[in-house]
Amino acid sequence: MGAMVRRLEFDNLLSRHMRGRAGHALALLAIGLVLAGCGAAPTPMPTPAPTPTPAGEVLILAIGDSLTEGLGVGDEETYPAQLEAALRAAGHAVRVVNAGVSGETSSGTLQRIDWLLQQQPDVVILAIGGNDGLRGIDPALTEQNIAALVTRIQASGAVVVLPGMEMVRNLGSEFVSDFRAIYPRVAEESGALLMPFFLEGVAGDRTLNQPDFIHPTGAGYAAVVANLLPYVEQAIQQAQAR
Amino acid sequence: MTLLHPTFIRRQLATTRSQSLIFVLCVALSMVTLVALRGFGDSVDRALTRDARALIGADVVVQSNFAFDPAVDSAVEAIAARGAAETARTWEFYSVVRRPGEDGSLLSNLKVVDAGWPFYGTVELASGAALRAVLAPGRVIVEQALLDRLGVQVGDALRIGDATLTIADVITFEPDRPTTFFSLGPRVLVDGGDLAALNLVNPGSRVTYRWLLKAADPAAVDDLADEVRTVADRDFVRIDTFRTARTGVERFFTNFLFFLSLVGIFTLMLAGIGIQSSLTAFLRERHGTIAVAKTLGASSRFVTVNFYIVVLLLGAIGALLGILLGFVLQWTLPALLSGFLPPDIELTISTRAVVESALLGLVVVLLFTFLPLYRLEGLRPSFIFRKEEPPIVNRLPFALTLLLILGLFTGLVIWQLGDVRTALWFAGGALVLLLIAALLTEAALQLLKRWDVRWLPGRQALRGLFRPRNGTRAIVITLSTALGVLFCIFVIEQNLRASFVQSYPPDAPNVFFLDIQPDQQEAFAATLGMEADYVPAVRAALMAVNGAEPRRNPEGEDRGNGGEGGPEGGDGRRSPQYTLTYRAALAEGEMLVRGDSLFGDAETVNPVSVLQETADARGIDLGDVLSFNIQGVPLDATVTSIRKQDAGSVQPFFGFVFAPDVLTAAPQTIFTGVRVAPDEIAALQNRMVAAFPNVTVIDVTATIAQFASVVQRITQVVRFFSAFSILAGLLIVISSVYATRLARVQEAAYYKVLGATGGWVTAVFALENVLLGLLSAALALLMAQVAAWAIMTWLFELEYRFLPDASVAMIAITIAAVMLVGMVASIGILRSRPINFLRLQTENE
Amino acid sequence: MPAILSAEQITKSYVIGDRQIAVLDDVSFDVQPGEFVVIMGSSGSGKSTLLSVLSGLDQPSRGRIRIDGVDVTDWSEDRLAPIRNSTFGFVFQSFHLVPSLNALENVAFPAELRGDKDARTRARTLLERVGLGGRTTNFPHQLSGGEKQRVAICRALVNDPKIIFADEPTGNLDSKNGAGIIDLLIQLHRERQTTLVLVTHAPEVAEHAGRVITLADGKVVGDEYREENANGQRSTVN
Repeated sequence: MGAMVRRLEFDNLLSRHMRGRAGHALALLAIGLVLAGCGAAPTPMPTPAPTPTPAGEVLILAIGDSLTEGLGVGDEETYPAQLEAALRAAGHAVRVVNAGVSGETSSGTLQRIDWLLQQQPDVVILAIGGNDGLRGIDPALTEQNIAALVTRIQASGAVVVLPGMEMVRNLGSEFVSDFRAIYPRVAEESGALLMPFFLEGVAGDRTLNQPDFIHPTGAGYAAVVANLLPYVEQAIQQAQAR
Repeated sequence: MTLLHPTFIRRQLATTRSQSLIFVLCVALSMVTLVALRGFGDSVDRALTRDARALIGADVVVQSNFAFDPAVDSAVEAIAARGAAETARTWEFYSVVRRPGEDGSLLSNLKVVDAGWPFYGTVELASGAALRAVLAPGRVIVEQALLDRLGVQVGDALRIGDATLTIADVITFEPDRPTTFFSLGPRVLVDGGDLAALNLVNPGSRVTYRWLLKAADPAAVDDLADEVRTVADRDFVRIDTFRTARTGVERFFTNFLFFLSLVGIFTLMLAGIGIQSSLTAFLRERHGTIAVAKTLGASSRFVTVNFYIVVLLLGAIGALLGILLGFVLQWTLPALLSGFLPPDIELTISTRAVVESALLGLVVVLLFTFLPLYRLEGLRPSFIFRKEEPPIVNRLPFALTLLLILGLFTGLVIWQLGDVRTALWFAGGALVLLLIAALLTEAALQLLKRWDVRWLPGRQALRGLFRPRNGTRAIVITLSTALGVLFCIFVIEQNLRASFVQSYPPDAPNVFFLDIQPDQQEAFAATLGMEADYVPAVRAALMAVNGAEPRRNPEGEDRGNGGEGGPEGGDGRRSPQYTLTYRAALAEGEMLVRGDSLFGDAETVNPVSVLQETADARGIDLGDVLSFNIQGVPLDATVTSIRKQDAGSVQPFFGFVFAPDVLTAAPQTIFTGVRVAPDEIAALQNRMVAAFPNVTVIDVTATIAQFASVVQRITQVVRFFSAFSILAGLLIVISSVYATRLARVQEAAYYKVLGATGGWVTAVFALENVLLGLLSAALALLMAQVAAWAIMTWLFELEYRFLPDASVAMIAITIAAVMLVGMVASIGILRSRPINFLRLQTENE
Repeated sequence: MPAILSAEQITKSYVIGDRQIAVLDDVSFDVQPGEFVVIMGSSGSGKSTLLSVLSGLDQPSRGRIRIDGVDVTDWSEDRLAPIRNSTFGFVFQSFHLVPSLNALENVAFPAELRGDKDARTRARTLLERVGLGGRTTNFPHQLSGGEKQRVAICRALVNDPKIIFADEPTGNLDSKNGAGIIDLLIQLHRERQTTLVLVTHAPEVAEHAGRVITLADGKVVGDEYREENANGQRSTVN
């Protein structure tokens, strides 16, 4: 969800003599806000050397959009960071990697899932689909993508936690109910652990959200983590049981 | 004894025309500056206010993404109840609309509006009808795109939420929604009466709620906004007036107009000095007359009153001339500013602007004529017997006048700015500038005074600068300050040009393509049909350097950005985002600063090369371990080298370059750049975008051209208005020549009697003017270069160019102008035979 | 013996309004080298106008002026400039010192204008000669009237001119200073054998002259050589 536009890093794209504030002004003058669709085609498994996970540590991958990346809050306030702290406080040896990309839809996630799965996570929290809904994308397509994602993740050996998403009511009751139905159905068909609603008790609450109505504050994410914790703990158990 | 003597006044006006002319011109100049600037400013301001109101559709907008607290609603309703404002509500949100009973659905951007919206600006409909003649409960107005994409037409039904409404018209223009506005779906306008029936605005709906207010009293806009502000939760309710809602363009114009006003004030002050010095010259030639009048029993008051009337009459002529010229100027402005001003701006001068200018002009005339007239009181009748200058005394009135002038200056700035603090800062800054100019002038004059020139014409010219009452100091200070400002603007403009426009290498790529997907590259290259380097770009966050958080960017860009549409959100630290790339070798124009090779020995896992600036900014050293999060994959990389890139290189530069195998599989986009002849760019652009709609094209040529033309137009306007100050400076030179006319006539006569040829005398006078011009221009250039260097280095962070050619040209032009003006004013003196002066002296004795 | 300066039928008239006023009417005389000529007359007799015509500062309406036999009447200002610089020296009633130059520079100025490298040395010697050795760096406004006039005399002499024109040189001085100036002029005239043409209305000044030309209403009404100065005059003619 969230920033569907991002400012191009003009500094990186043009030469050094375009730099400085005047360069920025020039860049903005020229391109303003450029819609950037970021993603990658599935490519054969490469030979990167990602940071290894210490033996015995459970690797949890938090895949998602701006709700996962934590748009508008600090690194420590994002839900993956808070979740890691909560799990460790509860005595779990875990590492939670933030794999959120702001503005991403389920199609985008599908394009980078192989890149992500090379880490061989034990648990994956797949909180995606919100941007699909906000853009009015047909829920059927979203469901198809999410189902494919779950299948791929499960095939890699990871346990999937699938938090459900709900749509803002203004999109119309039909769309809202179609959208809501995606998650229980995918969970039921795949056996993923369903958390009924990711933003339960948070959505729409002025005290837990940023003024944009969409993105929670640090306190909002704390509430999300509290709700999410039991599902993740259950997933950890399942993963360790294998 | 009667105080007024019409014949006396008439005689004073009829004789010594040149000084009167300079005086009139100075007054006219101050007027024309004021009138033109006020007119220009008023016109721009009116247009901007009109646009700003239309842009928000109201005087005050209260806006939130959450339903308003009852307190906010009652505050607005109370305002409406007491008749202080008309009000209207709007609700804006996305919804999926459908054709009833059929499959098609479309995400649309809905706006539910009360009657009254928009209070300013006009909604244009395809039918040509007025908005309220069409929009009513049960009916909607939609954008053409909705008709096209849903396959419906006007008259068809549309299912929105729980309601079925009829499409009544097509909207073609909506004043408060710019055409460039990014939207995920076409617009649908719904009448406020249907809001409940839609059943879409409920808890859990994401809606932008707005109250629009149209103030009954335009002056009360800010008060109304404050009234609502006191009861609103500031974090969630945003309250804009048409003033605060101004766009960047309008802010630019506001700043620009302010800057022009300052130039205007500066010109006014210079004109004032011109008024003073020409009046001094005018009155000096009348000392004899005044002394005789006093000998015959005229009181000081008689003299002062009658000369005040002379001055006021001359002032009135000047003012009329100035206002007339101001009107003429208004007609020429649009041509000068075409393509630069907001469209359909009306350039007119309001009566208010003229009256204000005239009053201000009067204040300036009175203020600057006070001293010369006051000094008349000190003139004794004995002047006719002893040929001496009246003594310069009256230290107190002099200081008082100076204080008054300072006060006027500060007052004008405060008036233009409306902010006392900034105004005082500015006035202080201007004073410091004048002080610096004065100190530099004094130092330069002291040096010159000690300079023992052996060459006779040179020595005489130098001595001429120190002629009693020559005003050399005043001329140099005013000219160098005025020229300094002008030079500075010119040097900065030339520097910006050189940095952006001229320095772009002719063979460097001028068209860039971004966001090419990896699976598109092959097809893209085929369609492009040109050789090009394809550079992969991978977005990533730099999480840590050696396990610790990276050094913070001093500009605070690492903070949470608050999310879309919101004000500041969390202020926790965010990891900086970078675009990474990978390649096997150094690029052209790159060189290693540290490290033996780009990626060290083969043993190193995940080697990365860091650009020197990035390393410095983030505190990164050779051998450091950098922790990246590459779109969900943590990756620790070891710094194997630090790179530098040629300043002139047009290659893209990357903070972090990885070895290819590390990032080949990462989610990435590809970008490339090619050099295309300007006339082929458009065709290429169209071809590529048609084949690859997701690819973004950046035409640097167009960017640079656009930038250059903006810079050029801005400087054109600034130069235009600064020219007034230069004119004022030249008038000061002329009036100073007249003020010292007697002394110069005397010198010329002596030189000739002692055997100097006319050419020799001309040479001395010319040299004197050259010295004056050179001194002023050199000081101006010194100040301008220092200021421009500081601005380029610290504000724009660009390389500074000294521009020796332009500097020499500026000095040469200044010298030529000062010399020309000075010599033209001296022609009469040079031509006269020495006997005329000697005879005059004899007759007076 | 050729005349160093000769006036032939000089007439000078001014047009004021619709009237023509003759200031000089058919004035003719020759001046021999080394002569000390005083031109006398009451105020308005035309004597100052005669001096300016003789010295080339003004042009006659009719008649010719010759210097060393050369007719300079119609010469331009610029052609006259070297004559004024080196052949003539001027002393005025109101001194006319250049205010921006000090005493030494004022005296040296005509020599410097001529390109004389020793201008300053010569000027210093002259100033010492007239008793102003200690005031060389003073500017005109720092000098008394008598001192100013002595500086003016030095300036008139610095280029060793053939003729010195003095226009009422004592007019702005008290009698004591005035007498001193006249003595100085006569001394220098004798030392240097310079021709001296002096305009005055004071009979006591005329007493020292070798020749007195009297003007009245623009006409020469008297031209007499004085016996008691014949020695001085003769001694100049070798």
